[in-house]
This record gives sequence, structure tokens and C-alpha cells, in this order.
Amino acid sequence: MAVATRTPFRGLVAFSLTELRVQLHESTSIVTSLIVQVVLLLFVAILARDLLPVALFGGILFSMFALGQRVQNEAAFVRIDHKLNELYLAGPLTPEAYFLGMSLGVLGAYLAPIGVLVAVTVVVAGMSATTALVLLGACAGVWMFASSFGYFVSTLFRDMRTIWPYASIFYNLFGVLPPVFYPLGFWPAPLLPVALAMPPSAAAALVQSTIGWATLSPWEVAFATTALMVEGFGMFLFTIYWARRTVREDS
Amino acid sequence: MSAPLPSATPPEYPRTGQVLPAFGILGWRWISRNPASTIAPIMLPFIFLYFLHLIAPASYFPLEVVGAMLFTTQNIGNWVLGDSATWRIEASLQDLFVASPMGKFRYLIGIAVSNLIPAAPALAVLAGILLYVDPASRTVGPWLVLLGVLIVLWVLFSAIGIAVSSRVKSQREIWPVGNLAFTVIGMLTPLYYPLSVLPGPWQYACHFVPSTYAALLVQGAFGFTPAPSATLVEYGILLLVLAVAVTLVALRLYVWGER
Repeated sequence: MAVATRTPFRGLVAFSLTELRVQLHESTSIVTSLIVQVVLLLFVAILARDLLPVALFGGILFSMFALGQRVQNEAAFVRIDHKLNELYLAGPLTPEAYFLGMSLGVLGAYLAPIGVLVAVTVVVAGMSATTALVLLGACAGVWMFASSFGYFVSTLFRDMRTIWPYASIFYNLFGVLPPVFYPLGFWPAPLLPVALAMPPSAAAALVQSTIGWATLSPWEVAFATTALMVEGFGMFLFTIYWARRTVREDS
Repeated sequence: MSAPLPSATPPEYPRTGQVLPAFGILGWRWISRNPASTIAPIMLPFIFLYFLHLIAPASYFPLEVVGAMLFTTQNIGNWVLGDSATWRIEASLQDLFVASPMGKFRYLIGIAVSNLIPAAPALAVLAGILLYVDPASRTVGPWLVLLGVLIVLWVLFSAIGIAVSSRVKSQREIWPVGNLAFTVIGMLTPLYYPLSVLPGPWQYACHFVPSTYAALLVQGAFGFTPAPSATLVEYGILLLVLAVAVTLVALRLYVWGER
């Protein structure tokens, strides 16, 4: 029996656009995507206004990180509730294109609220070209890690109700607890390597160093950059492997 | 030919008073199978507390702990929303509940009880922290006020949760709608800080939300934002009036049987 050869990422563009359209119909989700960020920014604006620039940049990075939760919910919803993954993957769409297409679709839909946050940051805190470049790279690393992780985690659950508590713990624990919305200097010094090793806080540290809110040695910059890249690409590659391995027979 | 079977008398089961124990078991089974469902309500207020502890004046900390208790109780409404919507949309269990002798009010209290169980450890830990960090709080009076306020918020926000749940159409909507309804109400009211630090128009808007009176009453009772006794009584009355009104509206909006 002939076995069709599979082109990697086949169907990526079509599925990305499909997912983008699906996501754009979820206006409630899009509107509510900045809630945690806005709440924390309000806390800062009310109680420690001078930290607002740090919190605003942190809000952008947290938004990219929280996209992982959206991917997680979407992948789980499509698989558990609608069982649509069977239909999608019965066609020529490859598992890795399914995962990446979903992540890109979610990213596309949520760029608008994140863009609003970027605009507010530029107006309130200003943004140099260096900061903008570092922010862009940091956002890419955080998004790659979070979306891959979200997709991976979604495959581990059998019902939607169980996912929410775990998602809430993970994204709030790693997005709010470490120094993302507040300066790296507030974080206990002995635990600095931990903060520089976690994707959201590593990204935040790099951005804070460009706006003068964190002083990092070259070694620390290298450590945070390497951690972000290794974790982002590593998780991405692992999730491609995982998607190929599990997506067809997991339900 | 086999002998006729002896006529078995069906065992007598109590037909009333079973709703709360049944939902209590449901709540316990849920957390015993999914411990994360208990960790999440504990974690969220603690994460906010940690963040506020870093950025806010240290003198606000006891107030923030009380705020975390109020927020945790409010957030039960979010979990009620999630459960009620999941049971209706995914498990189609609501038809069974509607067909039972249980009315919608007992369903509300039952589901609120089942969701109080995962939140209870968080409330206990926060109470311990408050007693530890604020020696002045070690008197019975403020705790009785706090208990009363928590009960009112618990019923009120569970009613809001159940009302919203009947309007949710898909599983995908539950999480964002719950976040919108409960996080915004919870965070924009002065639970974690004194009302006086908010800008004027914001302060004014807060007076339309029951949680504001809950916060003011408890903060006053513990002496974090001192107020005369008459003012505290006024806050208590306003909280009760608003809570009863909103609960009645929520139950009215709640679609129990067929639309």
C-alpha cells in the first residue's frame, strides 16, 4: 500500500487563516484578554505610579505569555468539545501545521488589544528603537514558549473543566509572581538566576535593562537571552514532535 | 417452576434536606479528584497579595489580606458560573436538576456550597495570616462582621454566577465571561486598598457595587479605615439592600427550565 509523503507544515497558511477567522468571532475573549493586565496596571497606577513604565512593558510581555492560555483553551475546546481535530487532521493538514496554525491564528486575533497596550506604553513611557527591538525579540520568544506549552498541556486533559484551574495557576504563577510587572530589583537577589531562567521574567529583565530599570551584567544578559531562546525553540520543537505523536489518537 | 420472588419493600429514603449534603459531596469529590481546583483559588489572591506587598505601602498589608478574603469569596461566583454552565452545556445535567423536586434557589445554594469547599482552605489560610500580621484584629467583633459579609457576598456572587451561566452558549465563552464579570468587579472595587486612594469619579462609581460596602464595612470594623458606628451600620444596610436586590434580579434572569 502506498504511503503518501507528508510535507512538513502542509496546510499551515490555510489553517492559520481559518483559526484567525474563528478567533475573530470570539469578541468577548478578545475584549477580555487584557483584564489581568489592566487590573495590575491600575494597582500600579494607584499605589506606585512611578513603576508604571515597568508595568506597561510587563503588561505587553504578559499579554504574549497569556496567549499560551488561549491556545491551550482553543486546542482543548476543539478536541474535547467539538472533536474537530479529527476532521481537520483527516485531510492533508499536518499535525505541526495544526498546532502552529492555531497559534498563529490566536496571535493574529489578539494583536489588536496588544497593539493598544503598546500604543499606551509608547505614549506614557516612550520607547527607543533599541527597546522596541529587544521588546520584539522578547515577545517572540515568550510567544513561542507559551503557545507551544499551551498546546502541549491541552493534550493532557480530558475535560474542559479540569483545564481552567491548572491554566490559571500556571499563567498567573509564572506571569505575575516573577518580576514582570515590577522591577527586577524587587526580586530577591539570591533568586536572580531563577527569574532570568523563566521566559516571561527573562524577557522582562532584558526589556527593563534597556529602559534603565534593571542593571544586568553582560553574563546576565547572555544568560537571560540564552534561556529565552533555548526554552522558546526547545518547547516549540518538542511540541512539533508531540503534535505529530499524539494529535491523532489522543481523544 | 420457581417460587415467586418475595415482595421487596423499597427502602425509605428521606425526601427532603438532601440538597446541601449532596452538593457538599459533589464539591468534596471534585477537589479530591482535582486538587488543583483548590490550589487555584488559593493561589490567585496570594499572587495579588504578593504583588501588592511589593508595590504598596506596608501599612496596607492587613487591609489587603482582608481584601483577598473578600475577593476569594466573590470569586466563588466565577466557579459557580463554570460549574453550572459546564453541567448544562456539556453534561446536560441541568435537565435532571429541573426534573427533580429541587427548585432553582436550592440549586443555587447547593452549587454555592459545593464551590465554597475548594475556597474554604484559602479563606482559612488568609484568616491565619491576618491574625498573625495584625494583633489588633484578635477580637471577636470584627470577625463576626467579616463572617456576615462573606456569607452575603457568597450568596450574592453565586447568584450572579448562576444567572450569567444560563446565558452562556458555549464552553469557550465561560472563561472570558467569568473573568470579565468577576475579576473586574473584584478588582475595581476597593477590596485591596482604601476607597480614598481612588480618583473621584472612580470612587463615585464604586458606590453602585455591593462589594464596595462589603469592603468599607469590614475595613471599618477592623479599624483599617476608621469610621463611626453609625456609618458602619449604614454600610451594612446598603450592602444588604443591594445584595438582596441584585440576588433577586439574578435569580429572575436565571433561566432554570426551558427558554
